[in-house]
Amino acid sequence: MQLDLRKGSRLRLLAILLAVIMAIFVVRLFYLQVVQHEYYVGLANKEQLKQLVIPAQRGEIYALDGNRPVKLVLNETVYTVFADPKVIEDPDKIIDTIQQVAGGNARPKLDELLAKKETRYQIIATKVTQKQAELIKKEKLKGVGFQKGSQRVYPEGQLAAQTLGFVDGEGNGKYGIEGALNDRLLGKDGLLQSVTDISNVPLTIGDKNINKPAQNGDNLVLTIDRNIQSYTERALAEGMKKSGATHGSAMIVDPNSGKVMAMANLPTYNPGEFGKVADISVFNNGTISSPYEPGSDIKTLTVAAGLDRGVIRPDSTYNNTDSIKVEDRTIGNATKGQTGVITMQHALNYSLNTGMVTIAQRLGDGTRITRAARDTIYEYFHDKLRLGERTGIELANEAKGTIIPPTDVDGGAVRYSNMAFGQGMDVTMVQVCAAFSTIINGGTYYQPTVVAGTMDNNGARFTPATAKPSQQNVISHGTSETVREMIHQARVAFHAAQDKAGYYTGGKTGTSQTLRDGKYVDNETVGTYLGFGGSSARELKYVIMVQVSGENMNLEGGKHAMPIFTDISNWLIDYMKLQPKG
Amino acid sequence: MIETARRFSTKVKSAAGEFVVRRHRPDYQIVLYMGLLMLLGLIIMYAIGPQRANVLNNAYNTDYYTSTYFFIKQTVSLLVALGAFVAMALIPYTLIKKHAAKILIIGFAACAILAFAGWVGLGIAQCSLGACRWFDLGAFGSIQPAELLKFGLMVFTAGFLGMRIKQGLINDLHRTLIPLGVLVLVAVIFVIGIQKDMGTGIAMLALLASMMAVGGVSKKVGGALVLMGVLLGILLIIIAPHRVERVMTFLAGDNAVTQGYDDANYHITHAKIAIGSGGLLGVGIGNSVQATGYLPEAINDSVFAIMGETFGFVGLVVILLLFTALLLRLLKVAEHLPDIWMKLVVAGVFGWLAAHVILNVAAMIGVFPLTGITLPLLSFGGTSMLFIAGALGIAFQLSRYTVHGSLNKETGYESPSSRRGLGRPRYASGRGTPRA
Repeated sequence: MQLDLRKGSRLRLLAILLAVIMAIFVVRLFYLQVVQHEYYVGLANKEQLKQLVIPAQRGEIYALDGNRPVKLVLNETVYTVFADPKVIEDPDKIIDTIQQVAGGNARPKLDELLAKKETRYQIIATKVTQKQAELIKKEKLKGVGFQKGSQRVYPEGQLAAQTLGFVDGEGNGKYGIEGALNDRLLGKDGLLQSVTDISNVPLTIGDKNINKPAQNGDNLVLTIDRNIQSYTERALAEGMKKSGATHGSAMIVDPNSGKVMAMANLPTYNPGEFGKVADISVFNNGTISSPYEPGSDIKTLTVAAGLDRGVIRPDSTYNNTDSIKVEDRTIGNATKGQTGVITMQHALNYSLNTGMVTIAQRLGDGTRITRAARDTIYEYFHDKLRLGERTGIELANEAKGTIIPPTDVDGGAVRYSNMAFGQGMDVTMVQVCAAFSTIINGGTYYQPTVVAGTMDNNGARFTPATAKPSQQNVISHGTSETVREMIHQARVAFHAAQDKAGYYTGGKTGTSQTLRDGKYVDNETVGTYLGFGGSSARELKYVIMVQVSGENMNLEGGKHAMPIFTDISNWLIDYMKLQPKG
Repeated sequence: MIETARRFSTKVKSAAGEFVVRRHRPDYQIVLYMGLLMLLGLIIMYAIGPQRANVLNNAYNTDYYTSTYFFIKQTVSLLVALGAFVAMALIPYTLIKKHAAKILIIGFAACAILAFAGWVGLGIAQCSLGACRWFDLGAFGSIQPAELLKFGLMVFTAGFLGMRIKQGLINDLHRTLIPLGVLVLVAVIFVIGIQKDMGTGIAMLALLASMMAVGGVSKKVGGALVLMGVLLGILLIIIAPHRVERVMTFLAGDNAVTQGYDDANYHITHAKIAIGSGGLLGVGIGNSVQATGYLPEAINDSVFAIMGETFGFVGLVVILLLFTALLLRLLKVAEHLPDIWMKLVVAGVFGWLAAHVILNVAAMIGVFPLTGITLPLLSFGGTSMLFIAGALGIAFQLSRYTVHGSLNKETGYESPSSRRGLGRPRYASGRGTPRA
């Protein structure tokens, strides 16, 4: 631009001044927009970009009602009510309304909370239902806000409490399936990132917007049958009332699949009110978390091992003198007087320890429980039937138990003579049930499970879970048939009258001593009963295991646990509509 | 012949005697640059109008503001401003020169009435935060009398200084500087004191300073005046706490995002965020996020920052170049005007426009404290646009009377030459016969 400004004129001076200022501006703009561009983009994003987590909905839990999944654990929308003490206008009205509507869910000392003017956030009520929240909203209280949340609801109350577990205040599953499959139930939170205007209204400007929807948690369907569970809990409670037992557990398994149909533990609690529980031991699922010395139930496994190795047959005989020497120890029978030359069936019927030690000796050189005998017992108990190892059931806090191997210094002949009748080892009920199922179902080990499958988001379509790996021919089919018949005989020898006629049942009592601080105590025994039932020997439908105990109580398998088995077994035959064939 | 000559020429008295200058083609570059800037302003209003409407609708919980509300209002303002430009380009400058004193008196009177109305609380005075700056004209919007005062002061001072220059008394304390000083002081009391409008006040002083500089005050007097101006500025800052705060803010740098919500600091920081996040090429038309409520005064005082976000470094440089071109054009016109009144008026228009542009941009890019001043031709707002356009209209009219050729101090215009090299002189001796 030709300006023709005279040299030294004031106008020329102004032009120069203007040019200098503009040059400074351009340099400054270059600094702001090019050099510091990233810095200012950062500042801009800090206030313009808003992220919103879309919470994933926790999966609901179903039980079976026959073949139909029904909801056992539901989600409910609840609100946390908070107030901003700086903004509120009528604290008395707020207190009145909250206490009237929320009742027990209102926090104590509301007047003090609302008087804290220096704070901006005070929770004044929790777990307020949608209906209650609407009532509070209607009052149009200034400075009172609502925060949406979700809580678990248990329409069946205490049913299967330890199997379910609960969800803590932070939304994490504890105990039971809630704890074990927490990740699957949680799902994945979604993320909504958006550029917003100053009032947080999302804008469709730019390329920084993200919309990742939440992936809701899986809706799990349990193998637990609501009706069987319910009846089992009732039967267990009644049986315990008769014996005076303070603790009891019972579980029912399908021997042909490993599916757990019921798992009951008493005393119990309501997962919806887990916070009110005084003794947290009730959270424990006794069937999986409390290893115990199983006692005589294990004799069925010893017999199975003997049969499978061909060292005995049901009619094999030995001379029972009510005591037997193992190295420097003498082992006696609990039931005395069945002396003389008797069969193995007889020894099983009367739960004679001497018979079991004899089998252990015959697995060796016939008179001693040799290393080879011990290896064989360990192989059957631990390797094949998986005692002393976690089953991998989908429940939190499963215990392992202990089976001492022959390689251990403590794994000598005395130890293994004891193990032959279920002492000197620690196992869980679920391990015993799985092992027992294996020896009576034809020899296949099924891993116990409580998950039948999943339901889709609408709760309309059921997808079965993939079958867990099973192990066939753990014992031979023939062995299984024989031992099944022996266990059947052991029951009918005494209890035939109590069972429904025309069905095939079997069972074994167990009365085990209690170890306290590494020593057996005299005044406390745990009574167990382990049995099966079905239309016929080839159509077994259930394995039931019952365990009862009480502090300083000598509870016996036959007297105190067995009746509970009988009760449940007879009910199950009706419930399952089994046809009599015997 | 003589009648025609009188209509299309003007008599000029200079040291060399009286000339008659023929009216010729005006400087259309003034219209070009002004028009381009106005167009950019309209584009940005179109782009951020919907966001601004949204913000206001949310704030007032209405749906009064439609998405084209600001675009339409700005279009109307521009049409009115163009009307003012045309009017001031056509109304013979002699009329304005003749009635300059009256215009100034009306300006003062308007300010006085506004002050009174504000004091007694009449509805016509539009006040905020204790400062009444606008007359509320109902359906016609609102108008800021300080702009009229500024205009009046410009045309009156041109006459007064021009007279003193011709008398050779421009540096005379008693006859020039004190009377002018008193006049300016009264104006400053109204604008900065009562209306608390630092931006308009500074623009007014800048306009006068520009006129005096061009009028030829001595370096001594000029230095003294600049010193007085600086002292006055410091005094005004000290007596008003909000100005102290703004200066402190300016010195503190950008930390408003993390620290509290100090208004001025917040404003400047967000202006810089808008400009800085624009980068080299900007986020594009309609993609400004800062305009959605983060940056205060997004469509008025902060429009430069929003343009920085939208058009980036390249866009802002273009805008600054357009302003620079327009301003240099004014200097060129002033240089070649043969009459001192004309020269001073164009110098005043230059000072006025330059002060607004520089103060606004300097605040937005954080090199000078915030003064709350509009960006001429671009900001939303009628009054500012109206008067700037009017002032440019006068400059445009006066650009018809430029004379090209080197000036000789002794003899005035020595070698007449044609502007377009057509060999037609642009002036003639008063005693000679002008060629039609």
